[in-house]
Amino acid sequence: MSEFSVIGKPVRRIDGLEKVTGAAQYTTDIKLPGMLIGKMLRSPHPHAKILNIDTSAAEKLLGVKAVITGPRDTLGVKYSNWRRYPHLMDETALAMDRVRYIGEPIAAVAAVDADVAEEALSLIEVEYEILPAVFDPLEAMKDGAPQIHEGPTVRNNVSEARHFEFGNVDEAFKKCDYVREDTFYLHPVIHAFIEPYNSVARYEGDGKLTIWTSTQTPYYIQTLLAMALGLKEGNIRVIKPHVGGGFGGKMELFSDQVVAAILSMKTGKPVKVELTREECFEGGRRRHPMYYTLKTGYMKDGTILAKEAKLYTDGGAYNAMGPTSLYLSGFFQMFPYAIPNYRYDGFHVYTNKTPATAMRGFGGPQAEFTCDSQIDMIAEHLGMDPAEIRLKNRMKPGHVIPGLAKVESCGIKECIERAMESTGWKEKKGKLPKGRGIGMGCYGFMSGGVFNWINSPYAYSGAMVRVNVDGTVDVYIGSAEIGQGSDTVAAQIVAEKLGVPMSDINVVRGDTRTCPPDLGAWGSRQTLMVGNALIMACDQILDKLYKTAAALMGPNVVYDYAAKDGRVFIKERPERGLDFVEVVKAAIRADEGNQLIGRGYYTPHDKGMVSPAYSFGAQVAEVEVDEETGKVTLLQVTTAHDCGQVINELGVEGQLEGAFVMGQGYTLSENLVTDQGKILNPSFVDYKLMRAPDVPENFTSLMVETYEPEGPFGAKEAGEGLTNPNAGCIANAIYDAIGVRITDMPITPEKILKALDEKKKKEAKG
Amino acid sequence: MRDFDYIAPKSVEETIKVLSEYKDEAKIIAGGQSLLNILKQDLMAPEILVDIKHLSELDYITYDEKEGMRIGATTTHHAVEVSPLVIEHYPILSEMEHTLAFPQTRNWGTIGGNLCIQDPTGDVAPPLIALRATVKIVGPNGERILPMEDFSTDYYETVLEEDEILAEVRIPPMAPRTGVAYSKFRIVEGDAPIVGAAVAFTLNEDGTCADARIATNGTAPIPLRIPDAEAVFKGKKITDELIQEAVEVAGEAMECIPDIVASDEYKKRVAKVYIKRMARKALSQIQ
Ligand SMILES: Cc1cc2nc3c(=O)[nH]c(=O)nc-3n(C[C@H](O)[C@H](O)[C@H](O)COP(=O)(O)OP(=O)(O)OC[C@H]3O[C@@H](n4cnc5c(N)ncnc54)[C@H](O)[C@@H]3O)c2cc1C
Repeated sequence: MSEFSVIGKPVRRIDGLEKVTGAAQYTTDIKLPGMLIGKMLRSPHPHAKILNIDTSAAEKLLGVKAVITGPRDTLGVKYSNWRRYPHLMDETALAMDRVRYIGEPIAAVAAVDADVAEEALSLIEVEYEILPAVFDPLEAMKDGAPQIHEGPTVRNNVSEARHFEFGNVDEAFKKCDYVREDTFYLHPVIHAFIEPYNSVARYEGDGKLTIWTSTQTPYYIQTLLAMALGLKEGNIRVIKPHVGGGFGGKMELFSDQVVAAILSMKTGKPVKVELTREECFEGGRRRHPMYYTLKTGYMKDGTILAKEAKLYTDGGAYNAMGPTSLYLSGFFQMFPYAIPNYRYDGFHVYTNKTPATAMRGFGGPQAEFTCDSQIDMIAEHLGMDPAEIRLKNRMKPGHVIPGLAKVESCGIKECIERAMESTGWKEKKGKLPKGRGIGMGCYGFMSGGVFNWINSPYAYSGAMVRVNVDGTVDVYIGSAEIGQGSDTVAAQIVAEKLGVPMSDINVVRGDTRTCPPDLGAWGSRQTLMVGNALIMACDQILDKLYKTAAALMGPNVVYDYAAKDGRVFIKERPERGLDFVEVVKAAIRADEGNQLIGRGYYTPHDKGMVSPAYSFGAQVAEVEVDEETGKVTLLQVTTAHDCGQVINELGVEGQLEGAFVMGQGYTLSENLVTDQGKILNPSFVDYKLMRAPDVPENFTSLMVETYEPEGPFGAKEAGEGLTNPNAGCIANAIYDAIGVRITDMPITPEKILKALDEKKKKEAKG
Repeated sequence: MRDFDYIAPKSVEETIKVLSEYKDEAKIIAGGQSLLNILKQDLMAPEILVDIKHLSELDYITYDEKEGMRIGATTTHHAVEVSPLVIEHYPILSEMEHTLAFPQTRNWGTIGGNLCIQDPTGDVAPPLIALRATVKIVGPNGERILPMEDFSTDYYETVLEEDEILAEVRIPPMAPRTGVAYSKFRIVEGDAPIVGAAVAFTLNEDGTCADARIATNGTAPIPLRIPDAEAVFKGKKITDELIQEAVEVAGEAMECIPDIVASDEYKKRVAKVYIKRMARKALSQIQ
């Protein structure tokens, strides 16, 4: 199996050249003749009734071509990805009669340029009746708290509760030698994609609309835009140019998309709506803040028998993808450990803040911070090596989570062992000089979700492959390249299957008019799902090519054939074969010139409640803490990741490094600070992202290869899992270095100093 | 960002004329590294930008044994960072520039722009104060020279009148037996400092302190020279105890402003740590 031509190799990205030369087109580069600029007016209040909107002065301003408001100019349809669960759909493009967070769009204008549009916004007069607001989920759940949404399924601002349970948790706790309970707080952060939300809509009349937009999910935009505008899905063409990052923040229909479309319909001109960075903060999304309580029961030998997790998430003003983050956080709380008795209760609570949604890791980063921190506390209590207790409780291949999942391939043991070996864990753990420490974090993650919230009748991924007479190959996919390298992976899979060079593959993507429907880039699903669809499509083509080759060669026995290195040949007798192009030509001629096309699709079958396959990994970080300032320096970070069969080594490495840096910022510096619902740091000056010089110089990516039967060539995810262990890993290393444990994130230098002060005080008291 | 007109005068003289004519409607732009951000956020909307970046008469680094160094206002951070003259005579300035922002910003941003924007956390002023620098200001009535520490007046405010520009930074030659150190605290590398400290010591032949200079950034609305803390060392042999004493005195002078990233107490605490560390480092250069 290992004799691959391109699979598993460090392949250059197919969009790399145009990106590094600046030739790649993003939505901001789309400029159409007569194009107008659209801007949105946003709420200055966290919670208010809208009594009246007067747009007359704005309409009179020279250069203004249209002004729209929710009640007057939209259908007022509540939409979201939750089409299958309509009670969760709670958001409209523009406010209808009430605003629920600062930054919520109320009205929009289209004008000849941005200055005029801005001026017009300042002329719109909105009359508000200010309502009491609530900003903390625990407050919001209390009786008498302001109610942010009405509706039969919402009670005390809880829009969704998740519960799962298996084994006998209460009995198991009684049997345990020890039970400990710890609480944690996770803070809000933003996706911080470099490309802001951006859309250009062009209404072509007759109910036909084209929209260029920065999205992770072109198909969702197509269906939901149809719903919001009252148009037919098929008459809406969504084009996704290159996308400058999404991280979960661009997988829903957003106001810029709807507003651009309506303004274009009103004016008959193309309209661009591009958000500023401040708007991306205020009118965008964030990762869920969470209050976590973990109760874990364990035996003297370190075996974990039972766990109970309770979670309150600060969902913000609308559900967005919150209910799934809630579900997955409770689910990943178990990973990568075999917990025999588990109970989870999670509550998604509305607050008057920007909605929180999916963000790289999808509930996992919060879960693993709490889980990894607590496992180290348990290890310390028992005097065990934290690596050993992890190995002891790890999942094994074939592990079943009752009612939820079956884990087929699982390389967590190898991951932990290789990370230990590569970092010198045994020599270092607990033995480093004061101020230096080493810590571990572990994780497992899904390779795509089995979720079909959008209620699509289509397969989760579709693919079409066409081989041209000169042997070049056109690959049509609906999956979304957003910088993660998925188009390159798709090209590799086809190149490998058909035995043609990468340079002969042309990927057609990012256009719902020409590409098959696909659920898009979220949940680390694309390699596995579109990969499987591509394999099916290629197999159809190979079937025709093999038959043609057999007819051309006419051997007197029936053989199996293979395609590799530009040849189609008899598997057992590789010297007997034909040139790939020759066989392709013959196959097309034999079919009366009909194009040589293969079509494939993939939808998970019988794969439990979460995912068809799970990645695993272990991370070790070595830190140095400056005890006078509290600053943490990362000396060395090593991650061993099991993504099944590696498809693109460079791609996996890039994802592992990128995910770590994101986690590093989550842990040490990033924090979306609000006061009464107002974001206080809506810029990259005040919101502290890690930058290139902060990346630890010693970063090692180890790829642990397993074979995943459900994955294409045995592959699994490599995009998100690694965002999950960073915080726990770094927190554990800090504890090893200076003996203080921070349980409320982020771990800032100031918090470390405070904790050190307290520790000193306690020690002084004896 | 609002529309504006753009003028690129051919000389300092013409620049002053333009400024005198348009007064507060005009704004100087040098590298634009700070100004463009301010314009983008609509915090300021000048009618006219007066571009001085290309004025070669403001772009130079010279050194004279008696007079010391002169750096023209539009000299870029990068030019200061790599200047052999700077590296030879005031290596601390090259070190400081090396950690200021990123190569892109250092290639565009100028030393004059950095001082004139008067961000209280700016990197450039504290080491210049420690080096006893002065600044040359040019206006319609000619030149005036001020000590570096008297240039800033408040947050984002300097002594410059609307029709004046900062033309030059002057640094006297270093006295023998002098050590200078500067460093800053950041949570994220390449970011503006949270606080920083520059310390310079000149010792007498007998090893006692002839002169001390202490300046901090991020601890007050302006770069803060702390004479009371400097005075602790005068005429004495510098010891760790003495440094600690000066650090405590310095703490009294600071009025740190809390922000999203750090509280005022934390900033003060860290600034004190940096004064201590820089004092030890400066001393180690001479002993
Ligand atoms: C990403 C980034 C990171 C940064 N990091 C740091 C850092 O770590 N440390 C730090 O100290 N700074 C930092 N800065 C700020 C920046 O380095 C300085 O502000 C910059 O050097 C300013 O120089 P400029 O020539 O670009 O000034 P401009 O932006 O052109 O001008 C700044 C201001 O000074 C005025 N001005 C400029 N020159 C003159 C003159 N000769 N006479 C009168 N007025 C004048 C302008 O009118 C304007 O008000 C950073 C900036 C960026 C963008």
